[in-house]
Order: sequence, then C-alpha cells, then structure tokens
Amino acid sequence: MLVTSDRFGALDISEDRVLHFPDGLLGFASSDRFALIDSADGGPYYWLQSVDDPSLAFLSVVPFAFFPDYQLDLSPDDEVAMGLTSPTDALVLCLLTVLRADDQVTVNQITANLLGPIVVNSATRVGRQIILADSGYPVRAPLAA
Amino acid sequence: VLVLTRRANQSIMIGADVVITVLEVRGDQVRIGIKAPRTVAVHREEVFAEIQQENRDAALRPGVGPDIALPKPPGSVN
Repeated sequence: MLVTSDRFGALDISEDRVLHFPDGLLGFASSDRFALIDSADGGPYYWLQSVDDPSLAFLSVVPFAFFPDYQLDLSPDDEVAMGLTSPTDALVLCLLTVLRADDQVTVNQITANLLGPIVVNSATRVGRQIILADSGYPVRAPLAA
Repeated sequence: VLVLTRRANQSIMIGADVVITVLEVRGDQVRIGIKAPRTVAVHREEVFAEIQQENRDAALRPGVGPDIALPKPPGSVN
C-alpha cells in the first residue's frame, strides 16, 4: 500500500504493517488506519503514520523498555473488541508527547502516555486505545534514561 | 439536551442496546449502572477528555520527524 506522508515521503507499506483502529484514537476519530514504522536505530520506538492524512503522525514506544514495572489489565470487553485471545498477541504502545519542536529534544522533554496505551492484536492488526481509569498512571510520564 | 427525570432503580434506554440505570442517589452523588455491548467503550468524561487532549498534544508538530534524537532505554548497549 502506498502511503504519502509529510515526514517520511512516499512509503510503500506492506499490508501487515497497517494497523486498524475501528474506534480511532481519541480526538482523531477520522483516521482509523496507521502505518507502523520501525525507528531507524532499532530501539523500542515506532512511528504511527496516518494512512488517510499525510500530516498526521505519532511517535510511540513500547513502554516496558522505559517502565519495566508497567502493567495493564485488559478488560474482557477490550479483548472481545480486539479479538484478542492470547496475551502474547498484544503489542502495547504508548504515544509520546514531544514537548519541543526541534532536533535538540532531551529525555525529559519526551513524555509517555501511560494512562491511555494503545493495544494492538498483532495477529489481526486491530487496535484500540484503552483507558486505565483506575490505574493512577499519568498521561505524561517522562522517559527516564 | 434531552432532560429526563428518573428515580433510583429507573433506567434510560439509548438505542436498543445501552441501558443507563440510576442505582442510588445520595446527596450530590449519583451511582449509575451502565449496560452496553462490549464493543462500546464507556468512560468517565473527564478521563476521556484528558486522553483526547494528550493525543492532540502527541500529534507531531511539523518539523518533528525521523531525525530527532531519541533517548536510549536504560540498560541498552550503544
């Protein structure tokens, strides 16, 4: 699938790297498909590029790399909505907020949304942003190096 | 806005699948039961709004792209 993007140029994304969010991401209901793009350095980061909007992209991280104690309990409802039958099929990503718009971003200017992680069924590539309402996790947890 | 008056143990139907029931009224607090299909996400409005706002802030600004320096996770080898 050819995806045009402001940041990455024209991308040829294989279908198995396109994630589908039937409910959208909260606040972005009109973009329900995102290309999953590995970070160049092979770290725990992924870019999420909207298939529908070339200007819309997010940076995300596998949270356990920075927050080893991070835990999320999926509700049966979430599992049903995603068709998730095995925990090992779940790809967990947290969206990152980059607080300064230049190349000199430092660690404490990048925060992870631990309260509203994204969970993707890697077998079907259907995902959902879930809200861990009673977890006490913050929406802006600084990445600690 | 549709305004309905309900007493404890009375319900409201939203469509054919969603049932909102007033369970208990005590002072300025109301306990509400929600029965909805599993595919319908139900959230407290303030938490929903917080995530929505953070998503908007997380949408990358122009100029933030693949060339930004990202911190290495603790314990990783350079």
